[in-house]
Amino acid sequence: MSVEKMKIVGVIGKKNLLSKVLRLVILNGSVHTINALVRVNSSDFFLPPSEKNIEVLEELPFLKPCSSKKDFSKDEEVVKSLLNLFDIKPQVREEYLGQDYNYDDFTKQLSEIYDRVRSTADEIEEKMRSINKKREYINSLKYLSRFDFDIGQLISIKHLAFRIIKISRENYDKLKKNYENIPAVVLKLAVESKYVIVVSITPVILEEILEKIFRSLNYTLLPLPVEFTGTAAKVIEELDSAIDKEEKIIGSLKKSLEDCKVKYIGELKKGYSRLEIEKKIEELKSDMANGDKLFFMFGFVPVSNVAKLKSELETRFGGDVIILVDDVDKSGSNLNPPTKLSNMKLFKPFETLIKMYGTPNYHEKDPTIFFALTYMLLFGAMFGDVGQGFILLFAGLVLEIILKKEDLGGVLSRIGLSSTIFGFIYGSVFGSEKIIPPLILSAYIYNIINSGIEKNVERGLFSKNGIVGLIFYLILLYTIFHVVVTHSSISPALVYIMISLLLLMVFKQPLANKLIHADKLYQKSPANYYTEEGFGVIETLLSIISNTLSFIRVGAFALNHVGLYIAFATMARMITNSWGSLAILVLGNIIIIALEGLIVFIQALRLEYYELFTKYFRGDGIEYVPAKMELIPSAERRISLFRKKSVFCNIGSIYLYNIINLKWGS
Amino acid sequence: MDKVIIYAAVNTKIRALEKDFLKREDYLNMIQKKSVVDVARYLKENTSYGKLLREINIDNISRRDLEDILKNNMIKNMDKLTYYFRDDYKELIRSLYIKYEIEDLKILSRSIFNGKELETIEKPFSFLGKYSRVDPKILFKSKTNRDLIYSLKGSVFYEFLIPLVDGRRENRFRFEMALDMGYFSIIQSRKLKISREDRKILKEWEGLLADLYNIQWVYRGKKFYSLSPEELLNYTINFGDKLTFKERKAMCYTKNLEEFYKMITNTIYGFLFKKEEISRDIYMERRINRFMYYKLKALDRQFSLSIIQTIDFVWSFEFEIRDIISMLEAIRYDIPSEEAMKFLVKVA
Repeated sequence: MSVEKMKIVGVIGKKNLLSKVLRLVILNGSVHTINALVRVNSSDFFLPPSEKNIEVLEELPFLKPCSSKKDFSKDEEVVKSLLNLFDIKPQVREEYLGQDYNYDDFTKQLSEIYDRVRSTADEIEEKMRSINKKREYINSLKYLSRFDFDIGQLISIKHLAFRIIKISRENYDKLKKNYENIPAVVLKLAVESKYVIVVSITPVILEEILEKIFRSLNYTLLPLPVEFTGTAAKVIEELDSAIDKEEKIIGSLKKSLEDCKVKYIGELKKGYSRLEIEKKIEELKSDMANGDKLFFMFGFVPVSNVAKLKSELETRFGGDVIILVDDVDKSGSNLNPPTKLSNMKLFKPFETLIKMYGTPNYHEKDPTIFFALTYMLLFGAMFGDVGQGFILLFAGLVLEIILKKEDLGGVLSRIGLSSTIFGFIYGSVFGSEKIIPPLILSAYIYNIINSGIEKNVERGLFSKNGIVGLIFYLILLYTIFHVVVTHSSISPALVYIMISLLLLMVFKQPLANKLIHADKLYQKSPANYYTEEGFGVIETLLSIISNTLSFIRVGAFALNHVGLYIAFATMARMITNSWGSLAILVLGNIIIIALEGLIVFIQALRLEYYELFTKYFRGDGIEYVPAKMELIPSAERRISLFRKKSVFCNIGSIYLYNIINLKWGS
Repeated sequence: MDKVIIYAAVNTKIRALEKDFLKREDYLNMIQKKSVVDVARYLKENTSYGKLLREINIDNISRRDLEDILKNNMIKNMDKLTYYFRDDYKELIRSLYIKYEIEDLKILSRSIFNGKELETIEKPFSFLGKYSRVDPKILFKSKTNRDLIYSLKGSVFYEFLIPLVDGRRENRFRFEMALDMGYFSIIQSRKLKISREDRKILKEWEGLLADLYNIQWVYRGKKFYSLSPEELLNYTINFGDKLTFKERKAMCYTKNLEEFYKMITNTIYGFLFKKEEISRDIYMERRINRFMYYKLKALDRQFSLSIIQTIDFVWSFEFEIRDIISMLEAIRYDIPSEEAMKFLVKVA
């Protein structure tokens, strides 16, 4: 329901185990790694001097960052060509990674397989090349196929050079216009999009000059076969049958690989997965530290996952690794733990909007629930409408469930729901104003609780957003209310109380320091402090007014919403044609949903970020990003997932069935 | 769409940006400087480039660094302008990068051909990939020109370069020619949805460019490369503003240079060959650039709300950088400032 508690887990072991440990860590998927050197040098890092730890303690002062970068380009090449050869889809599957294996041995094995099939692979490639060459011949010969003469003869004439070239249209234009100066017979054979295919015949002695001219036209030579005789059509036929033959050979070659495939398929499939995880491991290594013989790894792990990780490490490596588990909250730690938010499904999508502002600090109270509730409330209040709300809800659900855009879709469906509910309760739009004051108050209370957790007396008790500020705000509201409603004058007692409250705010730092018996009354020089606080009082007064006014905008937007609708409804009524007025209404609704929806969405976000978040939320935390990979789960896991899903579906359909029954039954 | 809608905003922006161009006195002051660092310091302390160089330590700045900074600034400003355009206009503005990218590609190819290390090349490759969207890192990996061509696969340049890859005919000259021809072929063959007036302006402007480059090409081809007339003609750009195909062909088939000069003197491009022989080779490029610079200004005045203001801005930007680099080069080769002035485009 809030920020998950973390523990620091450290793993120390022999260097040759590093890859295996990291592999396990990635598969476990719950470790947010941190730089090991930073951890080791932090003040609260402590290793009990026992027999077991003696080796580690010896190495501690001499740690270096892990710097060696492995080059995977050769492995990648092997894996890629093997995947190609055997038609295997590249997938990262969990079942290929769980076992205990040594990556180097494995790649050695792979390249042995590769060597065995290489000769066949080369042969296939050779044949493919030959086929491609023949296809090129066919391609150039097809321009000649309408002529009925022996092309073999033409190609092999001794004193005349014959060739087919391809040039661009504009260059052909130049050639044509300057034909009288070209030392060759040139014939246009065909036009293909931007290019013109041209055949040229010239005496061999002039070929060099012609070559230069063609070169300046940026030509491409179309290759012609030398060893064939007969008409172009006949040669093409011969070439086709030759290609067929070679394709058959390739087929049989591939079949001969089939045995290999059956034999090694397991290993081959593993190749891609193992290569990918190895790359990920290399990435992680930048956070590790190396000693002479040992490696050091540290990371934050959510408390709920610690036991699982520990048992996995222990069963795999036993006594070969030392596992350290430390509490984060130990005093003196200068490490900032990452924040993992865990909230109910209803509130989860709103985490995205919070992270847009900033990830909550680990020590802060998670604002998601408060944010989600107030956001839905604000949006609903400004955009209360059953029909439009339902459209948003529907669009959100489509995004969330079908298109798998869970964050955006989730937020959209929830605010759509809230808008629908408000649509039901709206008879009078002004009703929403009553919700406003408690909202600001709850922001005050939130800050007070937060400061209480942090034991920050200055902020919680005396600041403008603390208890003193809250009392001041309440008294001010009461005074204004009193003056406006009863038309009486302000009682002097209230004024004195307010002034003394303001004074308390001015003296907040010395007072707070006095209360907690700190050694110094001021953090900076007193003169600076009082200048700053003097202006602070003015700022407090201003911000109280502007913040309160900001929320009045909620009412304004609610009005605005209705106003737009009235405008479209009036326009619809003015049109006599009933189809036309319906069209106007539909159009109006679309505009309202798209335009107003967006404005209200932003306005609510603005209120949250600037009027509420600035009061209580710091958002300077680090997001929890554990080291893991996208895996396709192994077979057993997939079945169990599927079962779970189908149970859900069943429950869903039973509900739906009941609803339908009820409807028709009544 | 109405031209006011398209151009009102962007032209205001351009006017504002043009304020940052160097003034005449800036050129006169800079050309007196004795070292790259002095020029950089002047730019930093006295001109709008100060903003750009504020974070940079100029005490040991190299020419390449300075050039790179200036060019990246140009890219930044050009990118800024694309935000003001939509649809095909965006594409049109982006296509102004082609010219500069080709320039960089040619230098890269030359460096690869000469087996130079990338770090030692004096030119930065600021524009690589700006139009083609090819990752420059991939281009830099090429060991030969053939690699370079293959690494351009998927870009617009590929189709013009691929005929070069058949072993025996791969060379630098052809690489550069193919790209240059490719450039004009790209800008000719694109079918952009732009207003009729803009199309007219573009046609005139690009035709003018083609004419000038054609004359320059035939002149150089005749004088330095001694190519056959057929080859000369084949390498010309296949369109123009004032020169027809017939005139172009006649230009290529002139018997000697004298005849060629005579022919050109009778056209509006006669200014290219007016002065004495020696200055022709050296200053031709500058004459062309100055002609274009003033032509752009004239077109700018003639069509007040059109695409030409944007083109003018981009080209002026290029000329300014070119001038700064010319001044740096003059420092390097110890050319006296009066001589150096004769190479500048924007001031004379």
